[in-house]
Amino acid sequence: MAKREPSINTENFTAVQLMELDSCSRCGECVEWCPTYDASGKDPGLAPRDKILRWREYMNKSYGLRAKLFGPKEIPEEDIEEFKDDVYGCTTCGMCATVCESAINTVELWESMRANLVKRGNGPYGKQGAFLKLIGEYKNPYMADNKDRTNWFPEDVQIEDKAEVLYYGGCTAELRQRKLALATARVLNKLGIKFTMLGEDEICCGSALIRTGQYFVEDTAKVNAQKNIDNIVAKGAKIVLYACAGCYRASLVDWPRLTGKELPFKVVHITEFLQDLIEKGEIKWEKSIDKKVTYHDPCHLGRHVGVFEPPRAVLEAIPGIEFIEMDRIKENQRCCGAGGGVKAGIPDLALGVASTRVEDALATNSDVLSSACPFCKRNLSDGRDAIGAQELEVEDVIVLTAEAMGIDLSDTPE
Amino acid sequence: MAMEYFAGISDALRLTFVQVMILATLSIGIFLIGMYINLKKWGMGSTGYGDAPSKSVLAFPKTLMYQMNEHAHVHNQSVLETFVLDILFQRRILRRSPLRWFMHFTIFFGWMALFALSLAMFLVEMIHMVAGEAAHSLPEFMNPAVFRELLAVPNDIFSYILLTGIIIAIYRRLFVTKVREATIAYDSILLIGLTVITITGFIADGIRTGRFWGFDMPYEWAPPAALFHVIISLLFCIAYIPFSKYIHMIAIPLALLANKGGE
Repeated sequence: MAKREPSINTENFTAVQLMELDSCSRCGECVEWCPTYDASGKDPGLAPRDKILRWREYMNKSYGLRAKLFGPKEIPEEDIEEFKDDVYGCTTCGMCATVCESAINTVELWESMRANLVKRGNGPYGKQGAFLKLIGEYKNPYMADNKDRTNWFPEDVQIEDKAEVLYYGGCTAELRQRKLALATARVLNKLGIKFTMLGEDEICCGSALIRTGQYFVEDTAKVNAQKNIDNIVAKGAKIVLYACAGCYRASLVDWPRLTGKELPFKVVHITEFLQDLIEKGEIKWEKSIDKKVTYHDPCHLGRHVGVFEPPRAVLEAIPGIEFIEMDRIKENQRCCGAGGGVKAGIPDLALGVASTRVEDALATNSDVLSSACPFCKRNLSDGRDAIGAQELEVEDVIVLTAEAMGIDLSDTPE
Repeated sequence: MAMEYFAGISDALRLTFVQVMILATLSIGIFLIGMYINLKKWGMGSTGYGDAPSKSVLAFPKTLMYQMNEHAHVHNQSVLETFVLDILFQRRILRRSPLRWFMHFTIFFGWMALFALSLAMFLVEMIHMVAGEAAHSLPEFMNPAVFRELLAVPNDIFSYILLTGIIIAIYRRLFVTKVREATIAYDSILLIGLTVITITGFIADGIRTGRFWGFDMPYEWAPPAALFHVIISLLFCIAYIPFSKYIHMIAIPLALLANKGGE
């Protein structure tokens, strides 16, 4: 009789990741802190610990001692399908990695599981399946004409053809949250920073594909990353500015990995750039923003790459702002709920997480819930609307900065 | 009845010694086979992000070394810091829960210390046995009887430290609702094994010394009790490691090293 083939394979896992499955002590810390587990009404399948346990069992059934002696044990297809649903119910916020007593790099583990399941034919989840086609066809996930990335900028905005500083706007800011992109451009103009942009040559950073495990399909994410890098280099840029946490993380961490090369430019978040200018005394504030402001750390900017202080430094420098921290901040921040493809795939879950984060902000009695990521802004705004907290303004740090510098953004097109 | 009895090695217990040595060898053999299977299993992964599965037994050590030398975006702590603070001191557990840290640290510390003391006793007896007639020229403390007495107090101390951790662990598993509800056989087997080993150790010592843990059992039961303790210790704590939750004793330090102490 032919030996049965294992029900799963190890595609897209590294050897260390397979070892990490055995290092979970099941302490349960990840379960305590997981935002989607919490927002789902404590669905046991979403508990990070449970996902590790299930894949470890799959591994042992397929490649463990028993499998060596008697052949692999079959894993029912419905179990794998259910597992797929659960592994996509995660925003890849990384809170589980922060609290993991075994130091498991859980975010990359979930992403590897997703990639494996995509390759196996189970993933991705729901509307996430359209990412690849949309990004391939439109170069952005919003089905927008790529020319519309920057052709809407009002005439006063000065974008150089070539410059040492390049502003990589990102799909969400350029095509959906334009106030943020306009604020960034006008702030740079007002500071006298000559900058360029990629315009219609800009391609999605790949974050959506990478986080949902689709990065390897036709090498789309790698090809796009390389094209972006080449286009940035062609613009003569030495410093690339980002006002989107997702694009920043993708460029800083994922692009070098995908292409296998160090980036030929410096990746800088706009708040890091502004903090430096504030410290040099090069920003002149023209307006006082007399509001209580709290700050939400985007997962991709904070926990993933450790940029915690610059946004706070900017907010604290703005005249009139009374800066108040929420209970859960920095490494222990609660996710906004939008990341990891959850906003597109499981919008109700994203909304549930966002509502909880908005409640965190409301508990501080702040007037403004700020962040440094257009995607966070979008989901936190939805969360605010869902719980009817219209009195809370949700705004990006760069927009508040522009306002305090006396920049008018009322002409931002829809 | 006077009995030359320390860790099980004496003329009167020569057979026991042979049995124990066979069992120890067998346990180590099973452990090595299990670890080889695990290395093969881990080696089914790739050696780099997005690469094809390696399917080589060397894939894991290669990837581990690569990750340990790779630049990390958030934490770049040294191997020494990871080893001392995260592996030995277990500060990641302390950050999350001081009680759970105390529980785990007492188990870890008590266990390691007792293992080291048992190993030292075993070595002294081996040296004494191999030395034969020349044994009288060894320093006084190398006499097994003397050495056993030297170890008596530290053995007691570390045994009770270990027992303290185990009692907390059992309490949590039984009486803390959230922990109890999340407990599966994978967790229980580890704790049951640890408890049985520890309690049988206390009983074997109690019978020999006539103290509380002997429960007035006949002195003659001391050797078989000790033998039982040794057998299950070898089976549970060596042979069973690669096939159970005991693997975390190896895998967690490796994960900590691979991820530079974690986020």
